[in-house]
Amino acid sequence: MATTKHAVDLTVNGESAQVMVEARRTLADVLREELGLTGTKLGCEHGVCGACTVIVDGRTARSCLMFAVQANGCEITTVEGLDTDGKLDFVQQAFTENHGLQCGFCTPGVLMSVHSFLKNNPNPSEEEIRIELSGNICRCTGYQNIVKSIAAAAAASR
Amino acid sequence: MDKVTSAVRLPKDRSIRKGKWIGARVQRVEDPRFLTGSAKYVADLTLPRMVHAVFVRSPHAHAYIVSIDKSVLPGLGKTAFAFTGEDMREVPALIDVVTLETLLKTPQHSLALGKVRFAGEAVAIVAHADRYIAEDLAELLGQAIEYDILDPVPDVAAASKTDAALLHPDIGTNEVYRETETHGDIDGAFKAADQSFSLRFHHNRYEAAPMETRGVLANYERPDSQLTVWSSTQMPHFLGSIISGKLGLPAQRVRVIAPEVGGGFGQKMCTSPEEIVVPWVALQLGRPVRWIEDRREHLLSATHAKEQYVNLDVAVKNDGKILGIKGEFIGDGGGYSFNTESALIEPALAAKAFPGPYRLECYEETVAASLTNKSPAAAYRGVGWTASNAAREIVIDEIARGLDIDPADMRRMNMLDADELPYKSITGQIYDSGSYKESLDKALDAIDYPAFRAEQQRLRGEGRYTGVGISCYVEQTAWGSDSSAQAGTPLPSHDNSTVTMDPGGKVTIGTSVSGHGQGHETSLAQVAADGLGIDIADVRVLHGDTLTSPYGLGTYASRSAVIGGATVARAAADVREQVLRVAGKLFEASPEDLLIEDGIISVAGAPSLSKTMEEVAFAAYWDGGLRDEEPGENHQPLLSSTRFYDPPATYSNGCVVVLTEVDTDTGVVKLDRVVVVEDCGTVINPMIVDGQVHGAIMQGIGGALLEHLIYDADGQPLTTTYMDYLVPTAMGMPNMEVHHLETPSPFSIGGIKGMGEGGQVAAPAAVANAVADALAPFGARITHFPLSPDNVLRMIGKIA
Repeated sequence: MATTKHAVDLTVNGESAQVMVEARRTLADVLREELGLTGTKLGCEHGVCGACTVIVDGRTARSCLMFAVQANGCEITTVEGLDTDGKLDFVQQAFTENHGLQCGFCTPGVLMSVHSFLKNNPNPSEEEIRIELSGNICRCTGYQNIVKSIAAAAAASR
Repeated sequence: MDKVTSAVRLPKDRSIRKGKWIGARVQRVEDPRFLTGSAKYVADLTLPRMVHAVFVRSPHAHAYIVSIDKSVLPGLGKTAFAFTGEDMREVPALIDVVTLETLLKTPQHSLALGKVRFAGEAVAIVAHADRYIAEDLAELLGQAIEYDILDPVPDVAAASKTDAALLHPDIGTNEVYRETETHGDIDGAFKAADQSFSLRFHHNRYEAAPMETRGVLANYERPDSQLTVWSSTQMPHFLGSIISGKLGLPAQRVRVIAPEVGGGFGQKMCTSPEEIVVPWVALQLGRPVRWIEDRREHLLSATHAKEQYVNLDVAVKNDGKILGIKGEFIGDGGGYSFNTESALIEPALAAKAFPGPYRLECYEETVAASLTNKSPAAAYRGVGWTASNAAREIVIDEIARGLDIDPADMRRMNMLDADELPYKSITGQIYDSGSYKESLDKALDAIDYPAFRAEQQRLRGEGRYTGVGISCYVEQTAWGSDSSAQAGTPLPSHDNSTVTMDPGGKVTIGTSVSGHGQGHETSLAQVAADGLGIDIADVRVLHGDTLTSPYGLGTYASRSAVIGGATVARAAADVREQVLRVAGKLFEASPEDLLIEDGIISVAGAPSLSKTMEEVAFAAYWDGGLRDEEPGENHQPLLSSTRFYDPPATYSNGCVVVLTEVDTDTGVVKLDRVVVVEDCGTVINPMIVDGQVHGAIMQGIGGALLEHLIYDADGQPLTTTYMDYLVPTAMGMPNMEVHHLETPSPFSIGGIKGMGEGGQVAAPAAVANAVADALAPFGARITHFPLSPDNVLRMIGKIA
C-alpha cells in the first residue's frame, strides 16, 4: 500500500521547500498538508470548480489535478503570496470594496485566476471577464459582484 | 382571509437605535482573512495524532447487508481502524421531531444497520493516519461487504405500486404521510366557477452544493471527558445537543465549533449521520478523527432537496378572479424521513405557503410524502416554497393565457393591497406588512413592459421567440416559534446574544446565530455600534462556538438579521444604560442628560464636559468609589448583558421578472435580463442584502435551467461529478438589476425582516414563465424542471 517517496523541490511564494512524497500525492495536498498553506481550497477534486487554482511557472493550474512530482523545480504562487505583510493587493482590495466574496471558499482560486488573467489582458470587456471566470464556480454571489470586482481591479491596475 | 390587528404578541419596545451604521453600505470586516487565505475551514484544521476517516458507502440502492469482513484490512486495530453499523448498534438512531400523529417515523442509524436504502448510504467507516492509505482501506473494505440486493424503488410512482418493495417493512408502506385539509367552501367555489384549469408539475431534485462540502473533526480528551467537534454546520448549539444525547455525554462536555463554513444554504442545518459517527469514533480511539467529504460523496449522500409533484386545479371566473384552488403536494423523501423536519419538509411547507401574495378564499391542501431509494430530502434555501411558488406562478400564467388576460393584470386582480395588511392567509400565515402590487409595478416599469410586448410581436414576425416571465413572492422569515408554527412545522425557538464592553471600552459580542458567508460579523457590529454610539472597528463579533456564544439555534430560514439584530440591539441598549449610569456618577449628572457620539460621552448642552468610552469603561471596572454599596441585579460593575428574542413571523416580498430568448432550433434558453424588486423592511447593510439576492436568484436559475439529481430505474445516481451535475457559471448568469422597497415590519424589533431566500423562491417561475411566454405560439406547457435544451425541444414538439 505504501509506495516509494520522491524528493520534490518547489519554490512557493518565493520560499524554497523540499518535500518527500509518494508519486500519487497531489500538488494541492502537498501545499495544504505538507507546507501548511491551507488557503488553497479543494471543492471538487476533479478539476471543475477551480477552488484549487494556483499559479505554476506563470500559468494557472488546477492543483487537485497535478501531482506534486510534476511540479518539481517549479515556482508556485498561492493565495498566501498575494498580500504584503497583511496589506491587500489591488485584486484583493477590489474584491473587498465590491463585496466580491461571501463564504470565501472559492475566493482563493478566483483570485489566482484573476491575477493570471489580468496579466494577459489588463483591459478586459465584461464578456471576457465572464469567459475567464467560468472556470471558477462560486455558489454565493451569482458572480455579480465578482465580475464587478474584476472590472474594478482591472481599472485600478491601469 | 381577515384583516389582523391583535393576533400576535408583540414586545412593548420594538424600537432600535439607528445612527450612522444601520442602513450604510459598510465593507465587510471579515473579508481580509478570506482574501489572504488565512480563514480556517474544517479541512484546514489538523491536530497531533489525528487520523483521517473515510466512509465506505453502499453501491446499491436497496439491499440487505449480509456480512462485512473487516479482517481484510492490514494493521486492523493497530494502524487501521474500522467500524460498522453493528459496532454502533447502541447509539440511538436519528429521527425527526415533527409532532404529527399520522406521520410515520423511520429512524436512521448513523451507519446502516442490516439494510441500505440508497446508493451512497454510509455502511462503515475506516481511519488511518494517512488519508491516501485510508482511501485504499475503504476500497478494500468495500470489496469485503456482501449484499443481498432488493428491488429498487426509484421514484414516487414506483413507491406507491401495490407490489412495491418496502424500504421500511415495519411501517408497512412507502408513503409516510397523506392528509387533506379544506379551508372554505371549495366545492362551492368550483360550482361557481366559469372554468377550471389544471397543472401537473414535477419539480426537480437538486441540492445546495455549497463550495465547501461537509466535514467533521472530533477530538475526545479522555482525562477531562471532553469532546470537541468542529463541523461545517449552521447550528452548532443544536448539533451539540444532538451529539450529547446520542453519545450519552453531558452537554457541558460537548463543545461544538463551526469554524469558517463555506456555504450552507440550509443543507448544513439538519444533523448529518456523519456528524454522529465521527465523534463516536473519536470516543472509541481517544485520538482526533477528521472526515472531509469529497464532491462525489457529497452528490451521492449529502441531503437532496426540492423534489415534489405539485398537482393544481384552479376554479376561476372568466375575468380572471380565482375562486378556489385544490393543491396536492407530494414529496419524495428519499431513503429516510430525515431527522429534524421529516419527509414533510418540502410538501408541508409548500402547501402552507402556497397562497403567496394573493387573496385565496377557498383552498384544499393535500400533503403527502413517499420514501424512495434516493439520498434523503432535507432543507435547502426556500425549502418547500420554491416548488410551491413555481407551480402557483406557472398556473397563473397558464390561466391568463387561457382567458386571454395579461398575466400582470391577472396577478393584480387577485393580489392583496398594502392596506389589507396585516392579513391572515387562509393557511394561517400572518403577513405583517408588504408592498405586493408596488413591487410588481416597479419591476414591470423597470423593463418597460408595454415596449417589451410590442418588440416581442415584431421579433416573432422574424421567427425569434422572446418572452417575459413574472414571479411574485411572499417570503416567510424571522424563523422563531411563531414563524415555524405558521409554516406548519412547529418548533420552539431559542436565541441569545451577549454584548460585553471590556475595561478598554471595546465591545465583544457572542451570538447564537452562526454565519457562513452572510456577513454577520459586519451586520451585527453595525447594530451594536449604533446602539452604543461607537465605531464598528471597536466591535468584535464571535459566533459558531458553543463555548463563546450563548445558546441558540444558529442560522437558517432567514432568521439571523431579525433575531441576531434584535438580541444584539437589546443587549447593547442595556450596556448603554450601564455606561451612562457610570458616566452620570462621573459627571454628577443624570444619565438621561448624557449623549454618546462617536465613542465620546458628554453632557447635553455642556459639550466641554466629556469623557471617552475607554475612560468611562475603565471607571466602571476599576473605580470602586463609583460602585453601588451592594451591586444589584441591574447594576453590576460588569458592563454586559445577554438578551433573548423569539420574534413574531415577518414576511418579506418582492417580484422577479425575467426576459428571455429561446432558440427553437437548439432548445437553448438565453436570459437577457433579470429584474428583482425586493422588500425586506429595515435594511442593516444594503450591500449585503444585494449579495444575498444575487446568490439566491442564481441558485433559482440553476434549478430552473441546469441542476438535476438524476437516478436511473435501478436507483443508481447518474449525477456524481460536476461534469454531470451542472451548477451555474459566470457565463450563464446575466446581470441582475436589484431594486428596493422598504416597508418596515410593524411586528419585529427595528422593523427588520429576513431576506435570504426570496430570490430562490421566485426566480424559477420567472424563468419558466418567460420560456412559456416565448414559446406560446407553439402551445408549449411547463411540466417539469429543469428547462434543459431537450426538455424545451420536447415542449415545442421538435423531439419526441
